[in-house]
Amino acid sequence: MTRLDFDPALLRRYDRPGPRYTSYPSSPQFSKGFSDADFRRQASRSNQEPIPRDLSLYVHVPFCFSPCFYCGCNRIITRDVSRGGPYADRLVREAEMTASLFDRDRDVVQLHFGGGTPNFLSPGALARLVDSLGRFFHFTSSANRDFSIELDPRSVHDGDIAAYAAVGFNRASLGVQDFDRAVQLAINREQSIEETLRAIDACRAAGFRSVNVDLIYGLPRQTLAGFMHTLDVIAKARPDRVAVYGYAHMPQLFKAQRQIEESELPDASERLALLQIAVEKLTAAGYEYIGLDHFALPGDDLSVALAAGTLQRNFMGYTTHSQCDLIGLGVSSISHIGESYSQNFRELPEWEIAVDQGRLPLARGMLLDDDDVLRADVIQQLMCRGFVDRVQIETRHDIEFDLYFAESLIRLQPLVEDGLVRLEGTRIVASSRGRLMLRIIAMCFDRYLPVQASPDIRPRHSRAI
Amino acid sequence: MTRPRDGSRPIADDGDAFHFCSTCAFSATCLSQGFDKSRLEELHMLVAHVGPFEEGEHIFREGDPFEAIAAVRVGTVKTYVTDNEGREQVLGFFLPGEVIGLNAISHSRYPCNAVALDSVMLCKFSFPNIAALATRVPNLQSHLFRLLSEDIGKAALLAGNFTADERLAAFVVSLARRHAARGFSAKRFRLSMTRTDIANYLRLASESVSRGFSRLQDSGLLHVDRREIEITDSVKLEALARNILRE
Repeated sequence: MTRLDFDPALLRRYDRPGPRYTSYPSSPQFSKGFSDADFRRQASRSNQEPIPRDLSLYVHVPFCFSPCFYCGCNRIITRDVSRGGPYADRLVREAEMTASLFDRDRDVVQLHFGGGTPNFLSPGALARLVDSLGRFFHFTSSANRDFSIELDPRSVHDGDIAAYAAVGFNRASLGVQDFDRAVQLAINREQSIEETLRAIDACRAAGFRSVNVDLIYGLPRQTLAGFMHTLDVIAKARPDRVAVYGYAHMPQLFKAQRQIEESELPDASERLALLQIAVEKLTAAGYEYIGLDHFALPGDDLSVALAAGTLQRNFMGYTTHSQCDLIGLGVSSISHIGESYSQNFRELPEWEIAVDQGRLPLARGMLLDDDDVLRADVIQQLMCRGFVDRVQIETRHDIEFDLYFAESLIRLQPLVEDGLVRLEGTRIVASSRGRLMLRIIAMCFDRYLPVQASPDIRPRHSRAI
Repeated sequence: MTRPRDGSRPIADDGDAFHFCSTCAFSATCLSQGFDKSRLEELHMLVAHVGPFEEGEHIFREGDPFEAIAAVRVGTVKTYVTDNEGREQVLGFFLPGEVIGLNAISHSRYPCNAVALDSVMLCKFSFPNIAALATRVPNLQSHLFRLLSEDIGKAALLAGNFTADERLAAFVVSLARRHAARGFSAKRFRLSMTRTDIANYLRLASESVSRGFSRLQDSGLLHVDRREIEITDSVKLEALARNILRE
């Protein structure tokens, strides 16, 4: 499971836009037809399951002090920290409204603050916010709860990190991207090695159970030598987890990216070389490949879950917490309740008005049908275990796999011929060459993707490699 | 594109002028007496397929004049009464092949409410006629009495001093057997009733139902995925249910 084969020619041939499968169906399928009543009904149905699922909370803090040009997240650039207070107040109101729909015996086992920049909120403001969330929801006292926060090493102070730990956070995720100065200037994100390492050390000293570092390949002006240096520095600092994301240049969707000079972007073969060096460096440094963009040290919960076959994937990426209902709070956040997905308003004013009027700030969503649930299961297996067992799927969903997925199996055939996928008895397995292309394999089972993407359709997904 | 067959939701094969529905509550008795479906027609048995009733829709309400007993063809029906303070008390759940309205036979009005828990189709038997038929088909009468006593027995069994785990095990085993009796999977099925209804029926708190199911799952007796139940150790589950099911 840990072996990876890097085959540049193959990776290049299969490099095409595709969903990241943090959800299936992916978010472009959500529609405005999803109503407040749908959400309430799904929540109430989920309470009525024999063993209602645990809850996972995602809280979005959209504010950033300055714009990183590569960013495709929903964020608001401001230096005015006073905007944090009213936003946090509305989050509390949204939490109160939403929590009332869920039975109190449902534990929150996962809490994640993402952004934007969550540390835009001071430790004091965050403490009050988490405290309020804890009044409306029941936080588990179990030691394996994951309370995580994304921290920006440029704007967080050492003392603050200890204060965030005291709030109850036990996992931190730090943005790094690349230490190369030329790259940092091109992406408008200047961040020194020293302040980054200081933040990692501060997290450890404060007792965070795990520290994650995000890197990005495919950025403007990025060079092999520069990225190798970044990887060496990070491998030496030994964060528990490392994510290496591919930069997706979609300036038509993300305004900030228009600041990036297209001619400065590495071409396809340079991108591959950057990815290859990342894979090689990290595996040589003892990191396990978890899947997609994620690496973890062998003792980390993700590596353990991967080996045990209990790994899960949701909007926050890979996780060890099985099958939670996920509640997204804040502007643009996504929820996954029962057999539905829904997303909050992406624009701050709309979200604010809805919350002020005591309405759920839902913008869109979708109800899953049996086919969606079945395909989501197949894709989840592929993304989290690197294989799917046909017989297991047949029993679970009462279908004949080969008949039901006849079309998918035809789409899969070239991947089998190219050695990305092996058919082993009842299993469809991503080979050591295919493991870096799980998205491509999963796409064969996606009902919503056109078989042949027309080139004049604007891509709504990032490239797979 | 093919849709998934939802095997956990039993769908009856519809009968026709000559054949009984696969889940018919009476076919075995009638056939063993030499009455096939066309013969019943000759006897002017009023058998009417009614429905669908949608989730939450009432089939009859307490106090409605009694007109017919009905066999469930598709779906699940819950019967309940409401006490003076408006508190609901669940009397039972009825699966395909099972008969509702039996407890109205001795009254002229339904003594309880019946509500569809999912999309429900019924087969209605107008009662005066079935009573007339029963005099001509001796086994039908005893079959009716048996159904009636089972209906009364079900509720009495849960009145004893049993643990939450025993109650849940008995509940699951009973559902499994009833599914098996109609030719559906006894190992995997969907619970169409809510946690609140199960709790009410078993005289447990709602939290005790989920905690109990979690314990049964942790001990490897069954696996729960949303509303889907898979029995993974039927021997142990039956052993746990034995005190209540008494056999």
